[in-house]
This record gives sequence, structure tokens and C-alpha cells, in this order.
Amino acid sequence: MLFTTDQQTTEDLNIFGKHGGDSIFTMFNHTSTRGGAAIMESMFHSPLSNHSLINKRSRIIQYFSATDSFPFDAVLFDIADQYLANTDERTKLSFEAGSFVKRLSNLVAEDPAYKFVYTGVTAMIEILSSLRSFTEKLALTQEASVKEDLDVITAYLRSSPFDSLPTGNRNGKLAYTELQEVDVLFRFRHRDIIKKLLQYIYHIDVYISVGKTAAHRGFTFPKALQKELHLLNLQGVYHPRLAAPVPNDFNLTPSGNVIFLTGANMAGKSTFMKSVGIAVYLAHMGFPVPADMMEFSVLDGIYTTINLPDNLGSGTSHFYAEVLRVKKVAKELALGKNLFVMFDELFRGTNVKDAYEATIAITTGFAEKKHSMFVISTHIIEAGETLSKRCENIRFSYLPTKMNGLSPEYTYTLKSGITADRHGMLIINNEGIIELLKKGKTQAK
Amino acid sequence: MSFITDKQTLDDLNILGKYKPGSMFNLFNTGQTAGGERLLEDMFRFPLSDADLINRRSRIFQFFRSHALTFPFDQDQLTQMESYLQDSGEHTLLETGLRVIRKLVSAWLLKDEPYAVMQAGLLATTAVLQTCQVLLDKLNIQDRQHPYFDQVAAVGDILNDSRLAWIKTEKEAIPLSFLHVIRYDHLLRKILKNELNIILSFIYHFDVCLAVNQVAIANELSFGVALPASRNRMEAANLRHPTIKKAVGNVLSLSENTNLIFLTGANMAGKSTLMKAFGITMYLAHMGFPVAAESLEFSVKDGIYTSINVPDNLNMGYSHFYAEVLRVKKIAEKVSQGENMIIIFDELFKGTNVKDAYEATLAVTEAFASYRCCFFMISTHIIEVAEALKTICHNIRFAYLPTVMSGNVPTYTYRLEQGVTSDRQGMMIIENEKILEILYSDQGLHPNT
Repeated sequence: MLFTTDQQTTEDLNIFGKHGGDSIFTMFNHTSTRGGAAIMESMFHSPLSNHSLINKRSRIIQYFSATDSFPFDAVLFDIADQYLANTDERTKLSFEAGSFVKRLSNLVAEDPAYKFVYTGVTAMIEILSSLRSFTEKLALTQEASVKEDLDVITAYLRSSPFDSLPTGNRNGKLAYTELQEVDVLFRFRHRDIIKKLLQYIYHIDVYISVGKTAAHRGFTFPKALQKELHLLNLQGVYHPRLAAPVPNDFNLTPSGNVIFLTGANMAGKSTFMKSVGIAVYLAHMGFPVPADMMEFSVLDGIYTTINLPDNLGSGTSHFYAEVLRVKKVAKELALGKNLFVMFDELFRGTNVKDAYEATIAITTGFAEKKHSMFVISTHIIEAGETLSKRCENIRFSYLPTKMNGLSPEYTYTLKSGITADRHGMLIINNEGIIELLKKGKTQAK
Repeated sequence: MSFITDKQTLDDLNILGKYKPGSMFNLFNTGQTAGGERLLEDMFRFPLSDADLINRRSRIFQFFRSHALTFPFDQDQLTQMESYLQDSGEHTLLETGLRVIRKLVSAWLLKDEPYAVMQAGLLATTAVLQTCQVLLDKLNIQDRQHPYFDQVAAVGDILNDSRLAWIKTEKEAIPLSFLHVIRYDHLLRKILKNELNIILSFIYHFDVCLAVNQVAIANELSFGVALPASRNRMEAANLRHPTIKKAVGNVLSLSENTNLIFLTGANMAGKSTLMKAFGITMYLAHMGFPVAAESLEFSVKDGIYTSINVPDNLNMGYSHFYAEVLRVKKIAEKVSQGENMIIIFDELFKGTNVKDAYEATLAVTEAFASYRCCFFMISTHIIEVAEALKTICHNIRFAYLPTVMSGNVPTYTYRLEQGVTSDRQGMMIIENEKILEILYSDQGLHPNT
């Protein structure tokens, strides 16, 4: 089964970014080759939902994080890709082309078809010889997950005809007949194998790039646990795009699988939710996460609702957009999926009484799904009080505010309990709006 | 003094923008000429804030309604005339003569076009002026009090200038003699340059008037009556949103004693549309343009500010709430300076939690309401605010857009009613979507239980 998510979630967590800005994808994407970038992107698009696959990829990345640079000449891959993309039979070098007359005319003006094949073939041969020495070095590894893929590649390289590719004359120049023969091998007869070998190299590129990012940023590799444990244990999780993030500890179990989060407007609720969401998302890709330690049971998907856009233009109100979003999640849950679900400021688009009732009804319903995990933030603390009596598996956390005179200060450190902190009026008062209006009034009189 | 507004307001009401679907500019931009489009844009950019000017412009538009007029000018000729007149400089008659001769010689020798182009421009101008004369005869405005009199008379004077007498006799088909070309060219492009530009402006203005009138008829728009600011009232019957088909009309009235309409209603009941309709109507009315209402009387105000779709400015690090606070602050500054404004707030403080929004809406509404010379329309989904306001302020009209339940499905009348809504169908929407049923549907069927 695939790990499911949707556009709202990836936008909330800024996985891909709208304009290629500070997204999570660009944070990791330092690949040297275009093929590597494509693989990286497909990994981001389809996280895994199988703990052994996750752990395998994670171990491979850890292994390669020791490698400091991509051990191939990246320029060669652009040539090779272009060369391999041309599968037109007519571009094969013809036999009579080897004739004396042709060769003579080639001396006068170079034949573009010949040149195309020549540069392509030499690039491929160079790539393959680099790959050979790379695999020979790697053969010493004890890491089982690395060895698994390596063995396949080594087998290809040792099989005919890859074990005895021509190396050219003393100047490294291939004879015309050799060239003709190898071209057919690469582009037509053993095309599949060549593609596999290149894909392997592109994967290596991705692993090295991710490993470097992990080492550079001090990320840790999470441990994927079996689905049936329904655990999430995060220590020191933080938002990777902040300059001075405050790390938090956070865990969820079947006996406490719902976090009811309260806190003032700027206390960092959204940021906290985003950092947890990013960690869960990356962990399911087998990637390193911005945390000190992470253990997690593999889930079937993640759905967040942090910046739900108003579609006032299209006529649906914010509240209705929220309801539809909740419905979507409810449907997924009803399919028996184990999900990670986050709602920021649930039902802020309606009146106080409705928001209270709806929050209680929906949260109680969610709490029944003990195998999924929920983080729900709200300002309706009364709902929290009612819920604490009704459900045992809801845990209450808040992000505190300290008042320093008139200006609020935030610790960004999660505490357990419910807070009634609100600063909406404070912000309005700090801006002096009401005074402004009153003063204008008295002056007018 | 010009009418005060800002980009946010123009965006909210979708006023400007040639390429924006449904914009008011687009609605009225049906003229024939590029110059007319420029003039229309100027009118849109600078609404008036003087009752006499507004009524005068509006009466000119209304004059067109009572006369079946069409645009008599040939588009190609107009374009040729424009480019011909643009290409003018400060020359003496002698210089003009030499230039014409040079063009003629080069046309002979090199078979090039400048001479032909110039001659065509001259002929096009002649034709346009002839058409203009025909149009004036048709308009035939003698009444000095007529709002259109001044403009028409100015053009008439120019056309009757003795120096242009040849226009009336000149026939298009006959090629002009060389000496005539020199004389006429000098006359049109140098001596009467400003006069001809006045005629062009008149033609553009005529184009705009025609277009506005056609749009008014097609969309059943009518003209408002501007009152002096001191009267401080507005009254509209059957006010609609101009670009919504089959829009429902509503009666709106505001005065010194009730200068604030506090609007409640369920989500989707049409609050935003009503507020936009109000804003658009007031904006167009201040331009002297026809509005989507059966009748409208309004005191002229100094400007309009709306806050309907406040954009998040996350790039600047503002939260939605803070963006709204800054917007309200900006408006409060203007209001406290004593400007008579029209203020529209839709779903004030929706970017924060309901409790903060409740307190903030209450405090801000109360403070604004005391400015009796401004008109406000404020909406919220937090009906608790309305209950609290009822006891504090007495110059507020409470209105709501009702929801009628047909079975389990909410339907909307879009017809404004007095009072505060008691519809709370937040939970009902949730029930209609059957979310709780979905959540509880698989109890016992869960693979892991």
C-alpha cells in the first residue's frame, strides 16, 4: 500500500515549495546529475509505507553520508542521457561508412552522425569504467543493504559483453568497427542493462546528496518500527527552515494518540505542527529528520490542515472548506488506514458555539481511531475541558506565553495542560487602534 | 479633492483590470476606440467627490439614453487621424512646404510611402471632421443649461472656424493638389493642433458615453442621484451585484442615526456578495456611472475602504490576523482624521480564533460606530458579537441573510431581513456531510482491532 498524502499537506509542510524557494525538497536536492534530481523528486512524491524498505533506504543513506563527493564526472551523464535517448535505428553507423572514401570525406568535414555516436560511446565507456572502480572499492562493505544492490550491478559488469569493452588504441581512440559494434550494444541490444546501471549511479548520487545534507545540518536517521506498534517518539524535533529553532519532545501511543494543543496566536502552534509533520513525512521516505531521536511506526498516510485557503472567490466559505477537509480525512480513516492527522485552529470559520460543538464531536470521533495519530489545535479551551472528561486517550499540551510588561514573549517549548492565553486584543491595543479612534473623536468635538 | 481608495479596495470590489474577468472596468469597456478606453480608465481611477460634478456627468449619460445614437466614425479613419496628428512638430509654413516637397520627390524617385501616408492621414482627418459636423447637426443641442452643451458648443465653434471652411466642400475621392496638401497640412498639424485634439477628446468621450449607456441598458442599470455631503444619507432600492446573473435585489439605507449595518448570516448565505454589491454601487455612483439598483440617492463621501479578502502576507512574516489588524489600523487612521468614508469589513478578524475575533470585532465596531459621518457595513459569523452590540450602540442596524431549511438541505433567499440571525447551521453542515457517521461506520471492522 502506498503512503498517501495530498497537495494541501505538501503545501502546508512546504515540501516542494511554490516557487522553488525554501522548500524541504530544495534543502536536500544537491544532486550532481539530472537523473539524480528526478529520482529525488519521485522519492519526495511517493514516501514509503513499509518499515523494512524505509530502514533499508535509511541505512544506505547513512552508509553513503561518509562519502564527501559524487565519484563520477557529472558532465558525462548529460552526454550519455542525450545519446541514449536517441533510439532511431537510422542513426546507427553504417557498414559502408567505414570505406576509404567515407573516411576521407570525414577528414575534410566531420560527419555529425559519426560525432554523435562517438561522443556518446566514449562518455558511456568512461562512466562504466568509473562505475567499475567504484564498485570494486565498495565491495569491501559489510553493510547488507548496500551489498544487495551492489551485487546486482557487479554481476552485470562482470557479464559479457561489459567485461570486455574495447578500450581503444594507444591514444584511447576507438576504431570505426569497434565503435559501430559498441554503439549497437549500448543503445539497442543491452539498452535495459545500461539504463539499470545509470539508474544505480543516479541513486548513488541521491544517497550522497541526502547524506551530505544530513551531516551538514546534523539531522538524525529515524528508526522505522512495525505498523502494529502504533508508536511515535520524537525527541528534540525542530523546524529545519528556522534560524534558531526551539526543539521539542513529543510522543504518541495508542493510549494517548490525540494531542489537543492550545496556545496564543504567535506562540508557535503552527510551527510546531509543521516541524512534526515534516519529520513524519521525511521519516517515511527513509530520509534523515531534524530531530535528536526518532522512532516511529509506519503509517499509511499524512493529512495536515494548517493553512487552509479561503475560496471566497469560488463561493465556498472557510467553514465549509474545513468541513470538507474533515470529511476527506474521515473517509480515509473509515477505510481502516492508520493516518497522521493535524488540524490547526479547527473550525475557526464559524461562531463560537458551533465551533465548540463541532470541535468536541469531531475530536471525540477521531479519538476512537486509536491506531491513527492526531494533533488538533484550537482556542476553544472549553472544548478541552469537556473532552478531558469524555475521552481517556486525549493528551493536552500547550505552548506557553510569558508576559514581559505589555509585550508577550514565547518560549516555544511544549508543556502539558491547557492554556487560556490569547493575545488578539493585546495586538490590537498595541497597535493603538481603539485609542486612535477615540482620540480622533474628541478632536472632532 | 479626489476620492480616496486603495488597491486592496479595488481588488476586493474587482473594479479595475482590463484582463480580469468580471471586473467593473471590463463590464463598461465596450467602446470602439483606444482613446475611449483610456478615458474610461481615467474615470475609473479617479471617481469624483463633488455632488455637482457627479450629477453633471450622470446627466450626460442619461441624455444618451433618451437619444438613439450610434458611433458614426470609421475606426480606420480615426486611427489614421490619430497617428497623423501625433506626428506634428513646430514648423513654419515654409518648412512644412519643404518637407512635403521632399516627401513628394522621394516618392517619385524611390517609390516610398511617406507622401502617400501623409496624404491618407490628411484625407482621413478631413473625413472625420465631416462626420463630426454631421453628428453635431444630429445632436442639435440649443439649451444652454444642458449638461452636454459646453462640450458640443466647443466642438461646433472649432468646426465653424473660417479656416476650416474647405472641409465642408472637400471630397474624399479627389486627390488633393500639391499646394493644397501643403496648406492644409500646415493648418491641421500646426495652427489648429490643439483644436483638433479637443475634437478627438470629444469623439472619445462620445464613445464612452455610448458604451456606458449601452451597458446600462443591457444590464438594467440606473443612475443615482448625488446629494451634498451634509445630508449624510444613502438609500438604495433593489440593490444588486452588477455582474451576477439573476442577482437578488435588496433595500439598503444608511443615515446619521443608523450609520452602521451589522450583517450576520450563515456561511454561504451571501454576506460577501451583498457587501461587494454595496461597495461597487457606491464606487460607480461616485463616478457618475449607472448602478445596479432600481433607485439610488446618496450623499457624497470622501472615499471608500473595504476589507473583504485581506491577503496573507506570509512573506513579510505577518500572520493573517496581523495583516487584518494592520488593515483596520490604516482605516482607523483615515477615519480619525475626519474623512467621511464608506467602510466595509467582511468577516472581520477571521484570521484568528473565535474568541479573540469576538472581543476584537466588538471593540473595533463600537469604536468605529461613533463616527456618524462615515457609513459602515460590517459582517461577522460570530453572532455573539451582535447580541453584545445591541446593548451598547443604538445607531446600528442589525440585518441578516436568512437560511431556509428545505428538509435537511439549507437554501438561501439572499434577501436581507432585520435583526440578528439565529441560524447556527455549523453543526448541521457537519451532519449533512455525514462526517460522524463516516467516522463511526467501521467500528469493529478495523483490521487491527
